[in-house]
Amino acid sequence: MSLRSMLAQAAVIGVNEARAKIFGHVLNPTGQRSAHKILRKKFIGEKVASWYPDNIHKEDPLVVARKEQERLSKLEMLKRRGKGPPKKGQGKRAAKRSK
Amino acid sequence: MSDKRNIQDQKRRLLAEKYELRRKLYKAFSKDTDLPNDVREKHRCKLADLPRNSSFTRVTNRCVFTGRARSVYQMFRVSRIVFRDLASRGLLHGVKKASW
Repeated sequence: MSLRSMLAQAAVIGVNEARAKIFGHVLNPTGQRSAHKILRKKFIGEKVASWYPDNIHKEDPLVVARKEQERLSKLEMLKRRGKGPPKKGQGKRAAKRSK
Repeated sequence: MSDKRNIQDQKRRLLAEKYELRRKLYKAFSKDTDLPNDVREKHRCKLADLPRNSSFTRVTNRCVFTGRARSVYQMFRVSRIVFRDLASRGLLHGVKKASW
């Protein structure tokens, strides 16, 4: 019995080693701690970094140009009414400080 | 407020992607039992010196629309509230109310 089991064991080990040699596997029959476990995982960085989609409000030139135009036209309207930003040194705080 | 958190999260994601290779390398080196102890320690120090925001554990999957951190489905990248909203309007392809 013991001889047969020893033979079977030897055969299994031989088969495992042959398989690893053919396919390039890393064997660890004793089960010791090894760095192979960390190194065999694939990279996930790209997938992680592409979670948020591109912001159309900041990267599409048409949208950006349209927004800029709207801002300028609004500013013009305020200036026409006389409500635009004051000149440098004329604002409330600046006047108080200079006095 | 939701956008501020999203920006921070995006920053962390970019850092994690940038340092990923190095991180894996240092970690693998520091856990290899065949190397001498001082080499392992040196790599452990190097791993600790990397910026904290380059760790994948600090990245959270936030909802792309509202910025909600909890109950965000990875398949759609939206939180449950927005998912329900979009699905009821029929904007999600192939999603319909279950009944069987």
